[in-house]
Amino acid sequence: MGTKVEVTRPTKIELARLKRRHRLATRIQKIVKDRLAILIMEFLQTVTECASVKEKLLTDFMEAYKAFSVASGFHGTVPLEKELLVSEMAIKVHAGMRNVAGVRLPLFEIETVEPGTSKAKSVADTSSLLDHAAELSQKCLETMIQLAELENSLELLGAEINKVKRINNALEYIVIPGLDVTIKYLNMKFEERDREEIARLKHVKLLIEQREAYAY
Amino acid sequence: MHTDPPSDNLIGGYLRDDVRILNAHIPRKRKSLAQLLEEEHPHVICNDGNAHYFRKRELDFLSQMISTEEQRTLLLPIILEVAHDSGEIIIRTKEGTEAKILSSILNMSIVHRNNKIVIYRPQLSIVRKVLKTSTQYVFFPETLRQDKG
Repeated sequence: MGTKVEVTRPTKIELARLKRRHRLATRIQKIVKDRLAILIMEFLQTVTECASVKEKLLTDFMEAYKAFSVASGFHGTVPLEKELLVSEMAIKVHAGMRNVAGVRLPLFEIETVEPGTSKAKSVADTSSLLDHAAELSQKCLETMIQLAELENSLELLGAEINKVKRINNALEYIVIPGLDVTIKYLNMKFEERDREEIARLKHVKLLIEQREAYAY
Repeated sequence: MHTDPPSDNLIGGYLRDDVRILNAHIPRKRKSLAQLLEEEHPHVICNDGNAHYFRKRELDFLSQMISTEEQRTLLLPIILEVAHDSGEIIIRTKEGTEAKILSSILNMSIVHRNNKIVIYRPQLSIVRKVLKTSTQYVFFPETLRQDKG
């Protein structure tokens, strides 16, 4: 049951104002419900995608570790580590934002690796096994960036869903019922006033009639 | 080289009355696909002043589906109008290039009639899965829709 909205003056203007507010609140609630449905759909879609990317990441990691252990067995751990220490590659990630029903979500795009910035491994001391392992680890990095984007989106969407749910509940259980009660209260007040007016008129009429009867 | 995109009167209608705040995330001005393909970081500026970036992979995917001429007329992001009562999603367009794109994504024929395309909620999730950055929602109540025609 909604709480009664305080009315400063029980007037017809106030009633019209409340009816207008009621119409607006109902309309807004419809839109908020739509937004909630859309956000939930996006959230579920992100959850599914997140799960599949996580699975993919685990597979990628497994393959990369396998490739590294083969390379490590071939070269030996210390020479392999030495090669990995000197080799580096600049990777450019563009971080932007995308908008989903008013929620700003991150968007990471991996741009091409700049060829001039990479310090390659020594060709003489390494084999194709290490190249393959490096390729696989780069794939892992790409999946990790994708996962980071999805997980962050998930958090932001979840927070927004909570917020929108609270707004929807406030409108559904407090604002709209409150306005309903106040409108009903004002209508009753006016009806009562009308009845009082009629009773008063009848009483006055009776008094006039009595006075006229006494006069004659 | 790109030509100027066609005039876009769609946005103004969505920014009226009490829906203005709810739709603050829609772009101030949409850009054509051809224009976006030329940009290094393709993006549009939203009404709230923030930038909305497009994924390049998505733009490439779209460009493969339509001709060069259509790339100049297709305005992005595609605006998906969410209807409350009917569960319909309306896409308002004059050229109807969007129908071609949606047809190939949904693998079914989509009709472009009276300058609008209608899809339904279950189809929406499929579309959004493919076109995450090149589509955007707009919330538009039934009453305003009737005024808009």
